[in-house]
Amino acid sequence: MTFDDVLTLLAAASITLGLSVAGIALGLPIGLGLALLRSARLPVLDQAIAALVSLVRAAPIVTLALFVFFVLPEAGLELAPIPAAVVTLTLNTAAFDCEIFRAGLAAFPRDQLEAASAYGLRPATRFRRIVLPQLWRASLGPLVSEMTIVLKGTPAVAVIGVVEITRAAGRIGAQTYEPLPPFLAATVLYTALIAVLVRGQRFAEARIARRYGYAVS
Amino acid sequence: MRIDSLEHRPGSGFRDDGRRAAPDASPDAPAVSARRICKAYGGTEVLRDIDLDVAPGETVCILGPSGSGKSTFLRCLNWLEEPSSGTVLLDGQPIGRLPGRDGRPRPMNARELAAARTRVSMVFQHFALWPHLTALGNVVEAPVHVLGRPRSEALAEGRRLLERVGLAERADAYPHTLSGGQKQRVAISRALAMRPKLLLFAEPTSALDPEMVGEVLAVMRDLARGGQTMIVVTHEMAFAREVADRIVFLDGGRVVETGTPDAFFTRPHTERAQRFLARYAR
Ligand SMILES: Nc1ncnc2c1ncn2[C@@H]1O[C@H](COP(=O)(O)OP(=O)(O)OP(=O)(O)O)[C@@H](O)[C@H]1O
Ligand SMILES: [Mg+2]
Repeated sequence: MTFDDVLTLLAAASITLGLSVAGIALGLPIGLGLALLRSARLPVLDQAIAALVSLVRAAPIVTLALFVFFVLPEAGLELAPIPAAVVTLTLNTAAFDCEIFRAGLAAFPRDQLEAASAYGLRPATRFRRIVLPQLWRASLGPLVSEMTIVLKGTPAVAVIGVVEITRAAGRIGAQTYEPLPPFLAATVLYTALIAVLVRGQRFAEARIARRYGYAVS
Repeated sequence: MRIDSLEHRPGSGFRDDGRRAAPDASPDAPAVSARRICKAYGGTEVLRDIDLDVAPGETVCILGPSGSGKSTFLRCLNWLEEPSSGTVLLDGQPIGRLPGRDGRPRPMNARELAAARTRVSMVFQHFALWPHLTALGNVVEAPVHVLGRPRSEALAEGRRLLERVGLAERADAYPHTLSGGQKQRVAISRALAMRPKLLLFAEPTSALDPEMVGEVLAVMRDLARGGQTMIVVTHEMAFAREVADRIVFLDGGRVVETGTPDAFFTRPHTERAQRFLARYAR
């Protein structure tokens, strides 16, 4: 493996990181929004969201990527590979985040909500001041797991021509006839990225437990 | 389901044309005036035509056997529970339903309901503190985010209120580090911070270890003596007897007997009240 190969891998790592961060950052609020819409139990819309979420959750990321890249243009939405990859990962993770937030909302202590209503907090204020600060803390564990899954799911978007870590490693291995070094490097890169996530989670959880005394999963 | 008209006298906030009258400023408007409150779950009636007026400064204790509807009735007063029919006025103003354009009652929207609820505070059996906020944070939350009081002012008042319940040093503690009695005293400070016309207590000592009941009752006794209008659902007979101005005894979703503590505890005139008291005397 030459120095150039290392640079190629690092560039690919920045693509993997960028795609993951973008997908996660967009997926979180969308997932939360969907979970809130579902908790409002609006007729029709509720079933529609539920069906859509199940569909997206069931679809392999590869399939979803092909759909976004090849099928959406027929509906007039033509995307370059990178944006298509971001849309794919966003859709996928939003669906899973929706379920995580939904579980968190369902488990939210009723008496706290009641107290907030009894004290005149309007629904939006109640959500912002009472629910959200606890919801994200309680959902942290599952959310970080989901983030690592997104990160590890990024190779799927190689099918639409995005060169991320795994694709780059494969190319280098094919050119040099020595697949071990690039794949070893790829593994180290994934491990490092995931370690950062998990470290962040542990740090946040320890702080939450120390301060507020509620254990998080 | 019967929808009642809103014409009901004491301190009625409505004119005959159904439009809102000026806020009733008369100092002797009842702090709460509940009329013909009925509540049914499915087919089961749990409240039947309950009337209650509480004058400013009065302390009313609601007693009754388990399942008689005490909690349900209390929760109707701040509309946490929606009565099947009946009206509630808080300090002369309606809660829960308003006259619609055609003069017939319509449910309040979220904003109207929230505004109506600022006049009444509730202390819950299981405290219902917000665990992500400190004791002081719990106390100032609604004054700042509902009433829009300046934060610095709310914090100063919050500290005074915590001091009043003997918790000045625990202002920055999170709820999980407090004992049950301390949590309930924080909850009382939180209730007082709204400067409510009416304070509702929903079995405030039932979830406490026996050795902590006294400290909470002591705070409530002080409040009652200080002229705070309170309705207390409780199983603490000694407290009710000592502190209440009036006892309301519920059984089977009806007010069966009402009177001064002295009359109620020494010469209850209904058989059901006698039986109820006999159980506690043992
Ligand atoms: N959400 C509900 N659904 C159905 N029935 C209910 C509901 N809430 C209360 N009830 C019934 O209404 C009746 C009155 O209940 P409530 O809790 O008001 O009684 P209580 O006087 O407070 O009793 P306790 O002293 O045990 O607290 C009971 O028979 C109860 O089973
Ligand atoms: Mg009860």
